[in-house]
Amino acid sequence: MAAAIGTETGVMVAAPDNGTRAGLLGIRSVVLPIGLAALALAAWQAFVVFGNIPPVILPSPISTLAYIGERWDILLTHAIPTTLESAAGFVLATVLGVVLAIIITYSAVAREALYPNLVFFQLIPKIALAPLFIIWLGVGSQSRVAFSVFIAFFPVVIATTAGFLSVDRSMLRLCRSLTASEWQIFTHVRFPAALPYIFSGMKVAITLAIIGVIIGEFITAQAGLGYLIIFATARADTEVSMAAIVVLCVCGLLLYGLVALGEYVANRVFSSETT
Amino acid sequence: MSAQILEMPRPVRSDPLVKITNVEKTYAGRQGPVRAVASASLEVGRGEFVSLLGPSGCGKSTLLMMIAGLETPTSGSILLDGTPVTGPRRDIGIIFQDATLLPWKSALENVLFPVRILKLPLREHRERALDLLAMVGLQGFENKKPSELSGGMRQRVAICRALIHDPSILLMDEPFSALDAITRDQMNAALADIMEKTGKTVVFVTHSIREAAFLSDRVVVMGGRPSQVILDLPMPFPRPRRFDIEDGAEFNAICRRLRLTIEEAHGGPAHSAGAARAKSVE
Repeated sequence: MAAAIGTETGVMVAAPDNGTRAGLLGIRSVVLPIGLAALALAAWQAFVVFGNIPPVILPSPISTLAYIGERWDILLTHAIPTTLESAAGFVLATVLGVVLAIIITYSAVAREALYPNLVFFQLIPKIALAPLFIIWLGVGSQSRVAFSVFIAFFPVVIATTAGFLSVDRSMLRLCRSLTASEWQIFTHVRFPAALPYIFSGMKVAITLAIIGVIIGEFITAQAGLGYLIIFATARADTEVSMAAIVVLCVCGLLLYGLVALGEYVANRVFSSETT
Repeated sequence: MSAQILEMPRPVRSDPLVKITNVEKTYAGRQGPVRAVASASLEVGRGEFVSLLGPSGCGKSTLLMMIAGLETPTSGSILLDGTPVTGPRRDIGIIFQDATLLPWKSALENVLFPVRILKLPLREHRERALDLLAMVGLQGFENKKPSELSGGMRQRVAICRALIHDPSILLMDEPFSALDAITRDQMNAALADIMEKTGKTVVFVTHSIREAAFLSDRVVVMGGRPSQVILDLPMPFPRPRRFDIEDGAEFNAICRRLRLTIEEAHGGPAHSAGAARAKSVE
């Protein structure tokens, strides 16, 4: 029974929960990664304590946590702009990505003109362009958000386009035989079919959006976790850097969790349309 | 099950529902024009089950798509219920080789898909959808997703979806050819049963001789180069049909005649190319 789960539901990206069998595997899939992480943290703590590693080289997990507990107010002050700018970059990247995908799907001219350039564009090491964004847009939030959009939108375009084009020919013929309008085909078929693809693109985009903001903050910022990391490292305050990184992970998890929640809600909405 | 919804009265009008006159279809191919259908003339009466039989590439699916209004004839005319087919229209139901269900929707919601597209009243069609699902033996599966149904069940859902808006004609394009042989037999029996219950007019495309003979009132053989209608043969078996007719001498004689007609049009089985083609006709 259990062996069939992977093949049964693995095909269907948007397949719903499969009852208790999945529930049992669910517990395992929570316990295993947490166990491994706990083991790694314990090894790290032991390494620092028994190896007499000075905190400036590598602070221990416990001292990092202690620092976070002590100075959470400062960390929070820096976490807020980073999180907000990442979220803004992510949202704009998603909108831009989906809009571009719609254009690519519906216009052959746009597809032929745009698609090769998008792929070529992707080959540029984008991080190298970060300083230019500061020159173009100044030292404020706007340059970091713009850079974040710039590096995050691509996976959304690619995934969404693949999603729109995943609808098979027979389905489109069925729609046409029912005299469906392009808009009806989009709302009833193409868009819901693309949703799992869009969300997988969004999950990549959210992590890239955070990276974009952090790089922006490394270059120039007066606040933010990236700023804090650079500032603390320059003063050999490794504990602060480590604490900032931990908080950054929490912010990233939070944003990723929101995307996953959005996916769950969207699946519910589109699969249970009974009026 | 509310009988008055499903059991339509057998039609009383005698004029044909579909009238195909000298239809030709030529595609622009890479190496010049390709003639998919050279000349086809054909009538389908109201309540009649007509199969288009022939090997792959004989233009039978193209002809079906032209009846559906999804392809336009190069010349000739197609009348459906007295009006020319100029594009897709609401009074047809269509079934493809694959069930083509929306994977994120339940069986019931998939059946209701045409209702949403055609903006028909949802409440009464919901009842009708439940009746149709019960008729094809899917009671209790209304809320299952396609991934939880077998191939045969999915195709049954597709049949219900094609019937939900009460079309005047059902167009089926090799609907069971993706199924295994046992399921296919079951689906043939189920379809014969459904058609006897609903009295719908059906045009059924297949490359299986026995399937065509078992299901149809008439079998129209297409083939030859260029492709045209080469035989139009009534199937004299009484309804309701059961599988034991397949064991009868008459059934086998008809199947042999259909097979020979196809072989003849394609050079006969002695011919190597003809043999390969005949093989694809089962």
